[in-house]
This record gives sequence, C-alpha cells and structure tokens, in this order.
Amino acid sequence: MWGKGLVAGLRVTWRHFFGKKETVYYPEEKLPMTERFRGGHLVLDVEKCKACTLCAINCPNEALKLRVEVDEDKKRHIAAYVHDIGRCMYCDLCLEGCNFGALKWDKNYEGASYFKEDFIYDAVEEAKNRRNEDE
Amino acid sequence: MAQTEKFVLNMGPQHPSTHGVLQVQVELDGENIVGAKPVMGYLHRGIEKLMESRTYQQCVPFTDRLDYVSAMNNNLGFCMAVEKLAGIEVPERAWYIRTICCELNRIASHHVFIGSLTNDLGSATGMIYAFRDREKILDLFNIICGARMTCHYIRIGGVAADAQDEFFQKTEEFINYVPEMLDEYNRLFTGNEIFQRRMQGTSIISREDALRFGMSGPNIRASGLSYDIRKLDKYGIYGKLDFEVPIGENGDNWDRYLIRIREIEESARIIRQCLDNMPGGAFKGKVPKVLKPPKGDAYQRVENTRGELGFYIVSDGTAKPYRVHIRRPSFINLQALDHMCRGMVLADSVTAFATIDPLMGEVDC
Repeated sequence: MWGKGLVAGLRVTWRHFFGKKETVYYPEEKLPMTERFRGGHLVLDVEKCKACTLCAINCPNEALKLRVEVDEDKKRHIAAYVHDIGRCMYCDLCLEGCNFGALKWDKNYEGASYFKEDFIYDAVEEAKNRRNEDE
Repeated sequence: MAQTEKFVLNMGPQHPSTHGVLQVQVELDGENIVGAKPVMGYLHRGIEKLMESRTYQQCVPFTDRLDYVSAMNNNLGFCMAVEKLAGIEVPERAWYIRTICCELNRIASHHVFIGSLTNDLGSATGMIYAFRDREKILDLFNIICGARMTCHYIRIGGVAADAQDEFFQKTEEFINYVPEMLDEYNRLFTGNEIFQRRMQGTSIISREDALRFGMSGPNIRASGLSYDIRKLDKYGIYGKLDFEVPIGENGDNWDRYLIRIREIEESARIIRQCLDNMPGGAFKGKVPKVLKPPKGDAYQRVENTRGELGFYIVSDGTAKPYRVHIRRPSFINLQALDHMCRGMVLADSVTAFATIDPLMGEVDC
C-alpha cells in the first residue's frame, strides 16, 4: 500500500520525539575532551625545554617562531615561543618532535575570535603568567 | 510562432546542494536539463605543489585536507606510496588498526552521503539522523588520535600511537549498534515511497558509460561492475578478510544509495574480524627521522570511500618529494554529471549530484 513506508518513517521520528536527548545543552554543559585531544594553545614547560627548536623544524606550516638566547655558560634558553594559530594545522608533529616532553595542548576548543591578533600568542609569556597566578 | 529559448542557470558556488563550492552551469529548456557543466577550482589550494616543499612526514597532514570526510583513507594512500618507495615494513598490528580506522571512516563518510542526500531531497530530518551516528565514529577518532576529522593518525611505517582498550571497547559497542542503526535508516529512508520515486530510474549510468567516464568506487559498482581495489589488489590485510563487494543492477540513483547502505554492513563485518583477530606487537615500523627514499617513483592506489585514490610520488633522493600527483576519485566521477543530468528535470540534478557524492576538497585538491 502506498504510504505505508511514510507511516513507518513517522513512527521512528515520533519514538525519538519522546525519547532520550542526544545532545547536550552547550555552553551550560560541556563535553570532556579526550586525553589525546589536539587543540587550543600550546602549554610550554620552560624548565623542560632545551631550546633545540625541533618543534619549529618539524612544523609543516612554519606556525612556530622561536627566539633562542645563549647565556655565558653557552646554555640555550627559550626567550620567545610565538605560535600562530592561523597557520597551525594541529597535526601534532611539534609535540611528537619534542624529545623532552616540554609541550602539550591546553585542550581548549573555544578558540573563535573577532581579531586576527588573538590567534598569535607567546607560549613563554603564558608560562610566566601561569607561574605568577600559582604564586 | 512563439519559440522558447534555452536558459543557463548558475547553480553554485554558493548553493546548499553543491556540498561545497562547486558551480554547475545548468542549461535549461523549460524545466528540462539539456546540459550541466561543472565549473571547478573554487577550493584549489595547490596541495600537490605544497607537498614538494615539505618532507615526507610533513606531507601526511595535507592529505587529510583532500577528502576531509574520509581522512584516514587519504593518509593510508600516501603512507603506502611512501612505504613502497622507501621499502618500509609495517607491523601487522599497525595494519589491523589502520584497517579498523579506514573502515570506520568509510562508514562515517557514507553517513555524510546519506545525510546530504536526504537533505537534498527535502528531508532535513534525515541529515540529523545520519550525523547523529557519524558523531559516534568521530568520537572514536577523538579517542584514538585526538582529532575528529583531520585525523593525521596513519603515519609512514604504521600509526601515530597505539590504540587504547577504550577505543576497541567503544568500537565494538558501535559495531553492535550498526544493525539497529541500519534498521532505523531502512524504516526512515529506504522504505519511504517519496524517496523511492525520486531515485528509482533517474540518472542512469550504464556499465559501459561508467567505464567510459573512468568512474570508480560505489558509483561504478552501482552500475554492475565489481571493481573494488580492496579485492583486486588485496593491499594490507584485506586479502585475509572475508567480505563481499555489493553490486547494483541498474546504475540509477537508487542503486547508488543502496550500495552505500550495504557497504556499511560490509565495513562493520571487516571491523568485527579485525577486532577479533587483533595481534600484539609494535604499532610502528622502523622509519628514519629524516626519510630519504632512493631515487625513483611509486604509484599506490587504495579504495577510498569515493573510489580509487592513487598517489604517484617521484623521489629525487632528497628528504622532500620531487613531484606528487594525486588521482582523486571525486574529480573523475564528477565528469559523469552532465551525462546523468541530461533529460532530467532541474530538481533531479540535485539528486544526481548527491549520489555521485563528490567532495570539493578532493575535486580541486
């Protein structure tokens, strides 16, 4: 009979109309991100970083601009770690290139902004701010 | 005597039914289509050229951006081509994980097909149902690699990281859910009479025409030709797996839809076999940090969701490829659009376009 299929389809939609909700009430409710989630800002551990710049060499899009300073003991220190999110593909090659485990993602997925400048930040500055907040 | 004139209508590049930025110049005689000319290039990013200035490892994330709803299969094609070129061995466990990911991605991509097709036919409900289930697969990818669409998980020599128990457990849960999911689709779409009337007997591509256009993937299989690279080349572990290649009879829109539904079933079967026989061991073979394949060239084809995806790489012995060429199935399948639309009414062009299932990221590359 013509229309039988339509009724069967409507039965499916009606069942879901009174059924369990599939979505969450964002932004009041947020989904947790997974352990391996790639996104947000890079969290740099300045103590662990040996300023070898392997992360920047590994980057396919030159999204990382690093400034390295050498002290009187000829030890390398990271002075600036500028990450341009606009160029970043979140491919994770920087984290995988790091032999010292100095990098991780902050897992923030709410990165939208009206201004281009907001997509460029210095991870060393952010590390300093975090330390000041902790103190 | 009054005469009618032919009229050219620009569909796209900003059109909800062109799934991206494709322009179709439709030549109309009243409401009947006399010709449909796809105009491409709005999403051209020059990925082939970009790859020439990157190392082999750095090229892999670019392949995610080709067919972005089926990123795992793109990763696989490129990595296999480089492995062939450099003679890299891939551990068996890596192959099993790769196959699970590729087949999951095939299902997710067919979800997009079902969702966009039903949306184009005027049922926004269908889109929500398909995308609800696709979300389950994207969550699985989020667990295994930390990204949902641009995965960059399959790497040269294996995979980026070992799959966790949580991933296997949730994949199994999803596979158990597949029959219930397909049953719901069948009740909601397949049995729907309006859906059937719109698709049966429209935009027929005969077996000969499909071959003439060089089509591949579900589109050529719907025309009755058993052409599946997984069966033909038996690359990876596909030779060990038991699965069937669904084939259509008429080559109409309806067959192209049914093929995809049946392919979801087969993909679920493949994943089940991989989960049951998962071997232990390493997830990545030995790959030098600076990879310099010997001089020469290699071509590797894989069965992507949309057809035969091929990567041709020429190496000059340095760390960067000398030339990369990508055989993109969407681009070639799209040639048939004009043939499919001729003699149909304007509303059917949208259905024809949806059942070819092209992806503009791949068409323009």
